[in-house]
Amino acid sequence: MSHPLAGHLEVDDSARTVRHYRYAVERMTRILGGWIALTPELSAKLLMGRHVWDNAQHADAWGKRLPELRAAAQVSEPASAGLVAFMDALEEAEAPGETIERLVAVYRVLKPHLLATYEAHLARANAVYEPPTCRILARAIEDERRHITAGETVLRHLLRSPELERRAHAREVRLWTLLHASGGVTGTEPVTRASAEAATAPLSDDAAEFIRLERSTTEWRIAPELAAALAALGEALVAGDPTAVRRWLSAETVPGPEVTARLGDARGGRHRVVAFARVGAHRLVKLRIDGPAQPITLLMRWVSDGADWRIAALETVSASAVQPA
Amino acid sequence: MERPIAYDKLAREDRLVRMRAREVAQLKIDQGLPPFPDLLSPDAIKERVHGIMVGELQAMEGAGRTVYDFPDAPWEFTMDMARQVWDESRHVEIYVRLLEHLDGYIGEFPETTILWRCACAEDAAARVAGVNRGLEGLACDVFNQLVHIARKMGDPILERAVDYVLADEITHVRMGSKWLTRLTEGDPERRRRAIEFQETIDERFNLGGIRREGPHEMVPISIATEARREGGFTDEEIARLIRTTQRSAVY
Repeated sequence: MSHPLAGHLEVDDSARTVRHYRYAVERMTRILGGWIALTPELSAKLLMGRHVWDNAQHADAWGKRLPELRAAAQVSEPASAGLVAFMDALEEAEAPGETIERLVAVYRVLKPHLLATYEAHLARANAVYEPPTCRILARAIEDERRHITAGETVLRHLLRSPELERRAHAREVRLWTLLHASGGVTGTEPVTRASAEAATAPLSDDAAEFIRLERSTTEWRIAPELAAALAALGEALVAGDPTAVRRWLSAETVPGPEVTARLGDARGGRHRVVAFARVGAHRLVKLRIDGPAQPITLLMRWVSDGADWRIAALETVSASAVQPA
Repeated sequence: MERPIAYDKLAREDRLVRMRAREVAQLKIDQGLPPFPDLLSPDAIKERVHGIMVGELQAMEGAGRTVYDFPDAPWEFTMDMARQVWDESRHVEIYVRLLEHLDGYIGEFPETTILWRCACAEDAAARVAGVNRGLEGLACDVFNQLVHIARKMGDPILERAVDYVLADEITHVRMGSKWLTRLTEGDPERRRRAIEFQETIDERFNLGGIRREGPHEMVPISIATEARREGGFTDEEIARLIRTTQRSAVY
């Protein structure tokens, strides 16, 4: 049995380890913050939004611990060039369709590794002279467990197809390989990761509720005549019947060349309404057509003359997100 | 990741329809409607709440970008912005739930992105002046009035929830007041540009004379003088805002 005053880190080594933690956590904080605007899905946006602040508090706590270890406050230091390369790779998924890659990077690779590292540190830390560090570790461990659980819940919600599962797996393998090669967050420990089996109850980050909010738009109150018009327009588009399509355009509405060119891609597809908004008596409808070619999303403004609904304006818009399940 | 990002990179689910604010206002005017929803009917309140919900979404996204875009800013600044991200993400949830409470849904009205555009300013001082003081100041005006109207309507759910959000917004205005000063210390030119940016936002959000000084029931958006004082606005600044609302052209 070791002496109660035996320890595994010198003061300077402890400060260096804290700077290494701070590097990973500070960068993760900034990256999550930057990703929110680039992420379409509400559940993932809210998840990141909640965790940015927890992560910032961890980085802050590590930064404030440093002067107590004879080091400059609030300094981050990567453990290795390999870790910088890992964080760079983690950060690179910024396209709107890469939410899966973003969440996998943080919630299946970095956070599980941080959790394992913190747990190992806490298990070895000296209980007599390192409680200030232990308290930060204990708080961070509790938060990381909760974060991983919430992140996994949102990921499972978004992983709706074998193709998405394949992408998630590929991302995880690639980042894990980089992390392993880097020597991990501290650069000195075995590179491991922990699961969050002992997670506590959500603390303002109830992922199930985020998913419910994302799914909350279940049906639109569309007037029966307009619903019939939308269905007929959709059928005309996928049938490639321009005459039947024109029947729904108001006399003043002439589709631009870009719209006309894209309409050909609708042939043979499946159509569905994906957005239904209103401005006064006007109705704004997004009709998405998934076909053999690229998906098309048409944004239309429909106006009723009392008897009939007609399209007063239409354009194509980019579809940047997966649909709520 | 790009730093900063172009404003048109803002990612959205398909269920939201994005339109220029000017276009939405024009469509309403063409139909004989007020360009900005008043608070005179449940439907108008729902539309206002929807507008606030998307504003909170953009405020969360904007604060998140500020955490990322300015790694060389003081750490305490990053901490305040990270806290704001958390607050705004809770506000999004609050307003989505209030929408449900009012029998509405996400995407029921178009989303305009004026707020997000303002959050894309390249200078951190301009961003906090424009967003935290200009836009969060507007939020204080709008929420203060909404709390009053909810109380009058006998809707304690709306009243209580919005009042808590208002408290957070005052905190954000205070952060803006603090960081506008600290970030521009010793650089009067930078301060002048940041304040100018805030003033252009104030001018834009006077919404053609819709925001005014006056009783909650009488004006579409009444200026929340007390809340603004708590957020660090000086009496002179409030007086100047009131003067600018008086000279704003009707839309």
